[in-house]
Amino acid sequence: MDYSNLRRQAASMKKSLFDQGYLDEQFCQVEDLQDEASPNFAEEVVTLFFKDSAKLISNVEQALEKYPKDFNRWDAYMQQLKGSCSSIGASRMKSECMSFRDYCGQGNVEGCMRSFQKVKREHGALRQKLEAYFQLLRQAGQLVLLELPPGPGCKN
Amino acid sequence: MRLDERNAAVGRVRDHFPVGMRVLAVDDDPVCLKVLENLLRRCQYHVTTTNQAVVALRMLRQNRDLFDLVISDVHMPDMDGFKLLELVGLEMDLPVIMLSVNGETKTVMKGITHGACDYLLKPVRLEELRNIWQHVVRRKFSNCERANIDGYEECTRPSNADFDHVHSQITGGTPDQCGRPSKKRKEYHSEEEDEGEESNGQENDDPSAPKKPRVVWSVELHRKFVAAVNQLGIDKAVPKRILELMNVERLTRENVASHLQKYRLYLKRLSAVASQQASIVAGLGGNDPFMRMGAFEGLQGYQSFASSAALPSFSPQGLLNRNNPTSFGIQGMSAYRPIQIATGNSTISHSNGDPNKYHLSLPGTSSRQGNLAQGLTTSVGQVQLTQKWFHEETEDLSTILSVSGRANNGVPGTLQSVTNSHLLQHGLVECRQDKVVIQPSSSGSSDRLEGTVGVSSSLMDSCASQQRVVPLSAFSTSASPMNGSFCSNAIAELGATSSGGTNICPSNDLRVARDNKVGASSSGNVILLSPDTVPNQKYLNFGGGSNLRQSMDGGNTDNLLNPKFIWSCLPTSLPPNLIGSHHPMSQRPNNGNLGGTMVGQTTASASTAAPQTRIDMIISGDTPTPKSASDLSFPRVHSELSSSSCSFDGLLNSIIKVEKDDASFSDDLGCDFYSLGACI
Repeated sequence: MDYSNLRRQAASMKKSLFDQGYLDEQFCQVEDLQDEASPNFAEEVVTLFFKDSAKLISNVEQALEKYPKDFNRWDAYMQQLKGSCSSIGASRMKSECMSFRDYCGQGNVEGCMRSFQKVKREHGALRQKLEAYFQLLRQAGQLVLLELPPGPGCKN
Repeated sequence: MRLDERNAAVGRVRDHFPVGMRVLAVDDDPVCLKVLENLLRRCQYHVTTTNQAVVALRMLRQNRDLFDLVISDVHMPDMDGFKLLELVGLEMDLPVIMLSVNGETKTVMKGITHGACDYLLKPVRLEELRNIWQHVVRRKFSNCERANIDGYEECTRPSNADFDHVHSQITGGTPDQCGRPSKKRKEYHSEEEDEGEESNGQENDDPSAPKKPRVVWSVELHRKFVAAVNQLGIDKAVPKRILELMNVERLTRENVASHLQKYRLYLKRLSAVASQQASIVAGLGGNDPFMRMGAFEGLQGYQSFASSAALPSFSPQGLLNRNNPTSFGIQGMSAYRPIQIATGNSTISHSNGDPNKYHLSLPGTSSRQGNLAQGLTTSVGQVQLTQKWFHEETEDLSTILSVSGRANNGVPGTLQSVTNSHLLQHGLVECRQDKVVIQPSSSGSSDRLEGTVGVSSSLMDSCASQQRVVPLSAFSTSASPMNGSFCSNAIAELGATSSGGTNICPSNDLRVARDNKVGASSSGNVILLSPDTVPNQKYLNFGGGSNLRQSMDGGNTDNLLNPKFIWSCLPTSLPPNLIGSHHPMSQRPNNGNLGGTMVGQTTASASTAAPQTRIDMIISGDTPTPKSASDLSFPRVHSELSSSSCSFDGLLNSIIKVEKDDASFSDDLGCDFYSLGACI
């Protein structure tokens, strides 16, 4: 059936995100927090994450321009981003944040710049993937709702 | 729903502690906060969240009984998590758990030494959160047992069924075990209020119950304590002997023991920061009730609040404007923690009208009345920032503000802490500071001037004008203008100011030297240097919600006395350091709280804060007295300027022993109160 297909697809998408390292088990925790009281919790958090992280990334970007070699400042901003990433389990992004901070620690401007580009790339990639994932979930959920009102757990 | 209804509802839930335990979560990261909130809900706790530390503090100050536990992020833009931690620990004595992405040992250590009862790394997991309720229980427990051994029945008489339940769970049996000694948990024990309980029987409610009465370590009491300790020798001082020497009724050995523990930590911290720039914390004496200083934020600068009624007149150095906002320029307080002394620890206790309220957290301040302005100046060498010390046990450690005992008429005796004597060891260029002289002289007033705190600013070695900080004499700031009469001894000392003029003229107004530049004007203004960072500025405002800038007249409803005295001795050469810790001092709601936050910030930038730093001292002393909150805004002191190490060492010390040598100063005082880097 459609919805079970969709759900299967969503499940396999999620698995591949884990396998590729985009997500880690913190994401599972986040999803686990979903319940009747907060049925869309995971998606809400992820949406909030992307909104907030976009801001943080732009902070870093500005800092890189406006405050050359101000490693402390860069590091501080990046630390905030890293904190967010770790809260939702954005594993690859988190690694890139860490490597950026390492470069800051070493005072390596080039390294910082490169690493920052990677952070942005990972951010974009993760956003795409998660959007697709939640889209699929929504479809699967909706289908379930429509076809089987008391159906098996709508959200997966 | 209405507060009481809500509380009732919550109360019902609390019967099944830890279910329904009330947690306040603070994190500027919305994602983390959201996840955390849900995790906590999953544990069946009752969660309140905020992304701003100032808001959190305000909520807590309004009613600390609304929460059982606080979880806070370390890195927040509006306030350093450690500061919040100290403040909460000092003012409300609630367990605080720190959260951070940063798991480096030294950061974790910092959290622990600041009194966090736990330190969690992000991302936080559910299993970890399931156990946090232990901290609440543990704290109640140790309070109970610490309260007094004799009265342990009180502990065993939990007022709530659930405590009993919990208690027995913990003790595994009869409630009688309450008295059993709990292991000393240094980390948060030191932070625990454990204020020497003067009255027996600390209430021992269920862990989630409202506040427990604390023993108030008034200035006087603390002075006695320090005197006793000094007499015995810090190494040999044992609670029993101290208790004997102090000879205070109704004080138990346990009270002394816990106070001693805090004191020791305080000293240790001081010596650790000794190398840093010292900021001078000028304590302003507030009205008679002292201003209880809520946690001082060490780094930022202290705010000394001055009672509305009377601002202690500060020593000439322009320290504080008596009446209204006194701006301190605290300089030199380098960001280093020591300055934190003021934070959190210093609580300037406001006297509820009794004279003994002045608590100077300055250890060793023997001023009797309590108001000793503890000028904490951390000398560079010593870093005396008595940070925490101030706050410790007594809520009143108002080191900075030594409120002169006189409180009786509600006129706060304010003390000013001043001094940092020896602090400026570095070549503070300008340090002049020492000024924090508070003149206690309340002419003729019944207030007594409490010991003058001598602020000796040994600022700058290199500076020609090294002057000893004249001890700030605690002066009672009464409505009447204080005449700037320093204790004679203090005055004598002052002469040296580099600027040649620290004039110690007690002016009714405490005027803080605004200029953050190190060059504090010879007028001896204490310049509060605020840390260069803008966020620091926020600290200035921290103070019970009311912004520090409020003028005294405005009357801070918040009861926060925010005397911000920033005494910073800033050596110009020194890098920006934060001066003074910003500690909002909040008093217990019942007493007028003095929220004094000393904000000592040294602004790194050359832009000296304009004369503007006014320190609004909000002295909410006794409730009867009008509280004027004066915000002290400390000018940012350049870090360069400041780095004066002004050690405040406790005005008390100075009072007691004027001009002790630096070492002793720092030993005695922990500059808790204020990290005033007084740079003049």
